[in-house]
Amino acid sequence: MIEEKLSRLVGKENIISKSSILEEYSKDLSFVRPVKPACMVKVNNLEEVQNLVKLANETQTSLVPVSSGSPHFRGDTVPSTGGAMIVDLSGMKRIIHISRKHRMVMFEPGVTFNALISAVAKEGLRLNIPLAPRSSKSVLGSLLEREPVVMPIYHWDIGDPSGCFEIVFGNGELFRTGAAAGSGTIEEQWAAGGSQKEAAGPSSASWYRLIQGSQGTMGIVTWGTARCEILPKIEEPYLIGSSNLEAITDALHWLVRLRLANECLVLNNTNAATLLANDNNEFQIIKASLSPWVLFFNIAAYDYFPEERIQGQIEDMVRITKKIGVEAVKTLGKIRADGFLKIIKLPSSEPYWKIRQIGACQDIFFITIYEKLDELIKTMHEAASKIEYATANIGIYLQPIVQGVNCHCEFNLFYNPQDRAETAKVKKLITMATSSLAEKGAFFSRPYGENTAIIMNRDAATVVALKKVKQITDPNHIMNPGKLCF
Amino acid sequence: MTLSKNQYTAFEDIVGPEYISNNPAILYSYSWRSGLYAPPQDFSPLFEAIILPNTNEEIQAIVKLCNKFKIQFKASSTGWGPYNDATAPGCIKLDLRRMNRIIEINVKNMYAVVEPGVIGTQLQAECMKLGLNCNQNGAGTNCSASPIIGHCGFGHLSQSGSYGERNQLALEWITPEGDMVRLGSLGSIGAWFCGDGPGPSLRGAIRGNVVPMGGLGVFTKAATKLYHWPGPMSVELKGVSPKYVPTSIAKDFLIRIYSFPSMDMMDLAQQKIGEAEIAYELMGFNKGMAASNIATNNEEMLELHAEFSKLLTDYCLMVIIGGYSPRDFEYKTKVLNQIATDTQGKSLTKISDDTEVAAGCLWRWLRATGSIREVFRATGCFAGEVGGTDVFRLMADYIVETAKVKQKMIDDKLIFNDGAPPFTQAIEHGHYGHGELLIRYIPNPANWAGMMDFMAKANEIAIKQHFGVPGHVFSDAQHDIYGPHVMNYHKWLRKLKKSFDPNGASEGSHHITVKE
Amino acid sequence: MGLEEFKDDMSACCRCSACKYVPLETLKGYDHVDICPSISRFGYRAYSGGGRLGIGMALLNKEMDYSSPGLLEIIYNCQMCGGCDISCKYAMDMEVLDPMNEIRAECIKRNNSHPVLDKIITSLKNGGPMVLEANAKQGEWASELGTKDYTKQSVQVIYHAGCRTRHDKARWPIAQQTIKLMQKANIDVGIAMDEPCCGGRAYQMGYQTEAIEKAKRNMEIFNKSSAKTLVTGCAECYFAFKVLYDKFGIKGDFEILHTSEFFARLIQQGKLKPGKKVNMTVTYHDPCHLGRQGEPYIHWKGHRVPGQLIVFDPPKEFRRGMNGVYEPPRNLLQSIPGLKMVEMDRHKEFAWCCGAGGGVSETNPEYALWTATKRIEEAASTKTEAIVTGCPGCENLFEAAIRKNESRLKVYDIVEILARAIL
Repeated sequence: MIEEKLSRLVGKENIISKSSILEEYSKDLSFVRPVKPACMVKVNNLEEVQNLVKLANETQTSLVPVSSGSPHFRGDTVPSTGGAMIVDLSGMKRIIHISRKHRMVMFEPGVTFNALISAVAKEGLRLNIPLAPRSSKSVLGSLLEREPVVMPIYHWDIGDPSGCFEIVFGNGELFRTGAAAGSGTIEEQWAAGGSQKEAAGPSSASWYRLIQGSQGTMGIVTWGTARCEILPKIEEPYLIGSSNLEAITDALHWLVRLRLANECLVLNNTNAATLLANDNNEFQIIKASLSPWVLFFNIAAYDYFPEERIQGQIEDMVRITKKIGVEAVKTLGKIRADGFLKIIKLPSSEPYWKIRQIGACQDIFFITIYEKLDELIKTMHEAASKIEYATANIGIYLQPIVQGVNCHCEFNLFYNPQDRAETAKVKKLITMATSSLAEKGAFFSRPYGENTAIIMNRDAATVVALKKVKQITDPNHIMNPGKLCF
Repeated sequence: MTLSKNQYTAFEDIVGPEYISNNPAILYSYSWRSGLYAPPQDFSPLFEAIILPNTNEEIQAIVKLCNKFKIQFKASSTGWGPYNDATAPGCIKLDLRRMNRIIEINVKNMYAVVEPGVIGTQLQAECMKLGLNCNQNGAGTNCSASPIIGHCGFGHLSQSGSYGERNQLALEWITPEGDMVRLGSLGSIGAWFCGDGPGPSLRGAIRGNVVPMGGLGVFTKAATKLYHWPGPMSVELKGVSPKYVPTSIAKDFLIRIYSFPSMDMMDLAQQKIGEAEIAYELMGFNKGMAASNIATNNEEMLELHAEFSKLLTDYCLMVIIGGYSPRDFEYKTKVLNQIATDTQGKSLTKISDDTEVAAGCLWRWLRATGSIREVFRATGCFAGEVGGTDVFRLMADYIVETAKVKQKMIDDKLIFNDGAPPFTQAIEHGHYGHGELLIRYIPNPANWAGMMDFMAKANEIAIKQHFGVPGHVFSDAQHDIYGPHVMNYHKWLRKLKKSFDPNGASEGSHHITVKE
Repeated sequence: MGLEEFKDDMSACCRCSACKYVPLETLKGYDHVDICPSISRFGYRAYSGGGRLGIGMALLNKEMDYSSPGLLEIIYNCQMCGGCDISCKYAMDMEVLDPMNEIRAECIKRNNSHPVLDKIITSLKNGGPMVLEANAKQGEWASELGTKDYTKQSVQVIYHAGCRTRHDKARWPIAQQTIKLMQKANIDVGIAMDEPCCGGRAYQMGYQTEAIEKAKRNMEIFNKSSAKTLVTGCAECYFAFKVLYDKFGIKGDFEILHTSEFFARLIQQGKLKPGKKVNMTVTYHDPCHLGRQGEPYIHWKGHRVPGQLIVFDPPKEFRRGMNGVYEPPRNLLQSIPGLKMVEMDRHKEFAWCCGAGGGVSETNPEYALWTATKRIEEAASTKTEAIVTGCPGCENLFEAAIRKNESRLKVYDIVEILARAIL
């Protein structure tokens, strides 16, 4: 019965029931319990999504929206309950609207970074992107996950660069957030000069914030907007190497605070080598040549007197780094700043950098502030030592976000997925470390997978409040049940 | 209704007899109408009692009692706008004045944590000692420093310092049922730096580009983003009130007022200034506001306004540059001059050449103390037609359209004649904008009727011409007008209200109420 | 006048809260943001300048009447320091203190008064001082100075000691040193052995009729003398003679100066030379009635121009505290060798009140002391040794606050400091 209805809604060719394909969606590279979906449905437009959600409510069928291609890492696209339907939005690939004047772009869930970067570049714009995302990653998916981005000075708010969303809530109702809500159709808004830019609202609620971070539990987003920045005319990338974490974070602080650097991030030598190396041999050479911490930053200038701007910014940067006791260079060990910049301006080449060397990677990430980093890194290392996971093998990524008010801290645990013992070790380590880190003040703003409960259980009041919101947007609990606290 | 003796005693047991009162004189002092959107009636309905709590626990206990007794409550910090008022009997006031501490200023991660009773000036003055600054409410630094309090929260520094909705980090929220929800990192690990998560961000439930105006519980401590302050730790002044003048213009600072031949040129200028990221402040003050800011009385304001009317068009931008280094200042100044040339911006010599005037304006617009002069001194009452926060040009166009209706009111002598030029501002280096009309009037019945008519027309313009939902939209009546044209957001807002305030205890007349 | 006359002013209150705070351009930190002791202490909006205007409107509109329970407590827990008036007028063209005065006057007209203040006024009406507790008799302080009596002899300068000085032995040295300094400068000074009370504080308390009556009688006495200058060391008396009497239309043909102004002038003229070192760091407290309220009265008779805008015909010049007596005391202190002066955060037109004014030291001594304590704490934060001022009311309260809080600060009248450098 339901298959018949589905067929009428999306066409038979868009319903996938083949076991081997469904098997792929039953699990991902996380450690969540595998659960096979009942089917996968490819949707192509808003009407199909609306009808699908309506049907799901009628039949109490769980929906799990997916927009990125594989591999998936977080467990959020693996059903938590049987009989679920994967809603594949990856075929919705339209880049709907770009406005140079308003520095924004509107696009569908299936648009990946490569496509969007080149499209906006034609208008002299760029997107603030995460660190080398995988090429199959949906841009909208990334925005919805509140993934950290590499240009902290353009990250005013944790939700950036998100603008507005069009969403079919779990109860089947269509909503557009922020300025996109209206009045008028999107086309009417454009004609009036609107650009669906303001994310907040309408009025006294910011629905986009309730949708971000929800892992598809509130509804299905059918398009989003993102703010863009203008492409620089001149760029001068630099590297700073140091074993002194405090000096590194001081440099980070001032580079962001004084708005000197665009791209600005820190990797430990393991991660820097992992990102830049093409093979294991190269990895070893690069890593050995680097100090424990590598700060990469890029100074840029735009339309007005760019040479003057960049020269001045460099002078100011040198003065500051000298005061801190570090030196910005063009080449650090075996890596070059311009090469680094080239890599982080685009998604990762294949294979995805995190799994390129050994085959698999698990991420532990949270938000903190600079003064806590040292202790948290020590905590991670202690946990790793207990499990006998070599601390030297842990990749660390520090990303100032929210214009330096927060610091995203990420530990990447590389391992061979074929090695059962190693895999078990990593699984255990994640749970142990998550617990310890949370105790020591790491804020897991984006909890995923099997350790979500450790995080959510720390804040009962928030859980109660979120459940109220969930009850509004998805009263029948059809949207990705079992995720977060739902 | 009047509080019964038992009910009064129950509240008194929480805060002590000194901090609760139903003395009529005290009640009337709270009910004297605000000068903002002032109606002809001098007094709003009296609160049943005024309570001055000092802790979260006291507030929670009070709110729980309100739910039990079926009494409403309304919290406020400085209590300026009409949304602080009761609209019917049966409501108590929570005046949060006693909760006035700065809890923390974290320099390396650039955030501060404040209680509602801290005013913007206090936070700014402390931040400046540390080389930091915070955005200020455009209404003035006499408003609360908390980013979750105060209508919208955009202001003079929004070009480089964003605004309340986006500066908000963690906070404490006492829900309308009296539960404590600590947002973000505060709830999980007791730290203030992040207001989002775990999972979806509850920041989305508690405010949009406007706050819920006392209709969604009580917000106590809140953390706000800070920004670099390239100026001195404090500014030395000479002179006596009201004629203060900084002894010098701060090093590597500059202020200009530019006048443009058209909206197109002004828009282009703000776009270029934004993209070049050179402005510390960018505000589209019109000649009326500029004259009102500089003048220390209304007679002087009239003279200055007449003078500025000859020198300025309707399309003006006030720009403050603050160099992060001498080299940075030089560069930013050069770019500003170029942009002004490119867009035919004419600099007002009173600001560029008169050091004392410039220094005074610079400081008043950085410290945001001139707003009362700008909007209230003329007539005692102000009803800014408050646009939204979408892209700059759209917000400016909305104001230009509604200005035509303002002109009619001027022609009908219903409001003070200061012309009808727009007041605009840019936010986050021009990514967003905001616009308002300066409407100053005496609140007699005829003028008020004119105001109501104007608001109706302004709403019609916003809806029909797709200018978004302006910031002046609050209350059931207004939400019910806009909602059907704006994705029925009013129904979603009511669902939130009902979910978090099932007993309707948090007085929602200026937010939204649940209508069965 | 009547409260009705200030209806437009009260209506112009927009509820901005500026009246609670110092002019915000001046604030340099978190501390010392408050200008109004009343709302700082009691918390409710009713205690602020704006709150009082709201109450005024309620009374005018007969939403409440003057016998409303609890009204008097609000009205009289205010030092009438004028801080709210100054802060409001930073931005607005409206009166704040004047309507507050009228509310008190209306209370008195309706026999709704404070019994403690009634006692003081009774003493005034009987020709006595406006102090509750006197420990000295009239004229005793000058019994050994050999000074002329201006009511009987020709003088050039009248020195008016004031009730709080002549009836308090602790304050006598200030008056005595004043005379000695004048004598040193060869000033032809006289006092009145039967010195009348200025009556100024009666006005602040709401007893306008009594204040005006007293002013008339006093001016008759002054006008009979040959003096061209009247000097007083009490800020309240200064305010009465200089401002209030002028307001009442009772003017004399003589100049009115505070001791700080008079002696600063003498120093500038070279008639007094502070020659001895006074090695001390001090801070100066601006008394409300010498500072922000001490500026000359501005007579204005006109009307508000009909229309939307608040403008007047003829144009009305508001008293905004710009022309108070700020520089002379500072100049005087600066002229003293070895003396270092450090300003408090709140000074000049936005000085924090000592706590004594408006009848508060009599009606609510605990609140008065609370206010003075705040000021002493602020003085202590300047890390100076002493607080110097020019009003016995301030000095009394500061001393009481210092004793209560066991502070190491000292209190001096400005004349005492000058005397150290000269006598």
